[in-house]
Amino acid sequence: MVLAGFAGMVDSGYVGFHSLTGLLIPCGPAGGCDQVLNSSYSHWGGVSIAWFGFAFYLAVTAAGIFGLSGFRQVFRFSLIATLAAFLVTLYLLYVQAFILQAFCDYCLLSALLVFVILGAHLALRPWNGTPESA
Amino acid sequence: MPKASSSQRKRSGARGKSGGQKKPSIAKPVAVLAAVVVVALGAAFYLQRSANDQAATAPAPSSQNTRSPISPEGWSKGNSLAKAVLVEFVDFQCGACAAASSRMSRIASKYGSELKIVFKHQPMQKAHGNAMIAARAAEAAGLQYKFWEMHDLLLQRQHEWAKVPDPQTLFLRYASELQLNLARFRRDLWTKEVGDKIYRDIMEGQMAQVRSVPAFFLNGKPIPNSRDEFEFEQRIVDGIRSLQ
Repeated sequence: MVLAGFAGMVDSGYVGFHSLTGLLIPCGPAGGCDQVLNSSYSHWGGVSIAWFGFAFYLAVTAAGIFGLSGFRQVFRFSLIATLAAFLVTLYLLYVQAFILQAFCDYCLLSALLVFVILGAHLALRPWNGTPESA
Repeated sequence: MPKASSSQRKRSGARGKSGGQKKPSIAKPVAVLAAVVVVALGAAFYLQRSANDQAATAPAPSSQNTRSPISPEGWSKGNSLAKAVLVEFVDFQCGACAAASSRMSRIASKYGSELKIVFKHQPMQKAHGNAMIAARAAEAAGLQYKFWEMHDLLLQRQHEWAKVPDPQTLFLRYASELQLNLARFRRDLWTKEVGDKIYRDIMEGQMAQVRSVPAFFLNGKPIPNSRDEFEFEQRIVDGIRSLQ
């Protein structure tokens, strides 16, 4: 969970820094990153949604680290945050697939990480398991 | 490993290590978290800078003027067979671009027989949140042979759509005014082909080191967007004459 949170922070931070520069973001051979990240769906209240993603991954990473240190109840809060992130991820996948008809590699990686984090919460139930499960 | 109840957690949060072996300390996870965040942000920043550096060094620099990266292809006005080519990079949300559009119309009507004027997109997305969708609207109209009409509407009514959260509704109204097929316009607005076309213009602008808009290239060489209309026009006349 900590590793997934860390990877998510790097991924969303990378996209977030790119959004601040306004420059093009390198993309895979299929393209699509520019279309997705410059669409009207890519910003909420004028802020790139990458930074909201960063906040989520920061919270998950914090939950993992604090959970490993004995504060296991924080996993209940990170589960709620992860469920919210899961719903947002489903919505963003829908936007990419059916509205924009373009996919962004960084967004797909982020979606995968959210699925992994949610799976880890549901499978390991770390709030009442051993700290190592975080 | 320690097992902490919620009450233990609260106490440990307040007292730290002094509470005894069973109570977890808050200082250590805070320090670890801070370190992890710093490393993650550092890695993201480093990767972003590296990508920018690669993008900047990969193409041949245009400042040397050894070979212009500006192609004369795109939406054009004037004489499509003219030797002299004026390329303009435009952001539909940029105030200076709207101001320059009347000057460009005048130049097109005055020198249209000797000059080809080519339009290219350069939406400055950091500063102008609606610039990209405006570029898409122009391209979607272009697919129904109304690019220049939508171009003019977007620049003339920039004040209407520039600051609204979702300008798509307004663009649909403009499309309706231009008697476009609205279903097709709505569909084309988000197609990959339209996005790719704008993307290619943006890439071209980056390769030509376009840093502000509007940016002009006459016969492949950058010319300043002079406020002095006479000076700007004189450069164009010189550019036309130099190829005759």
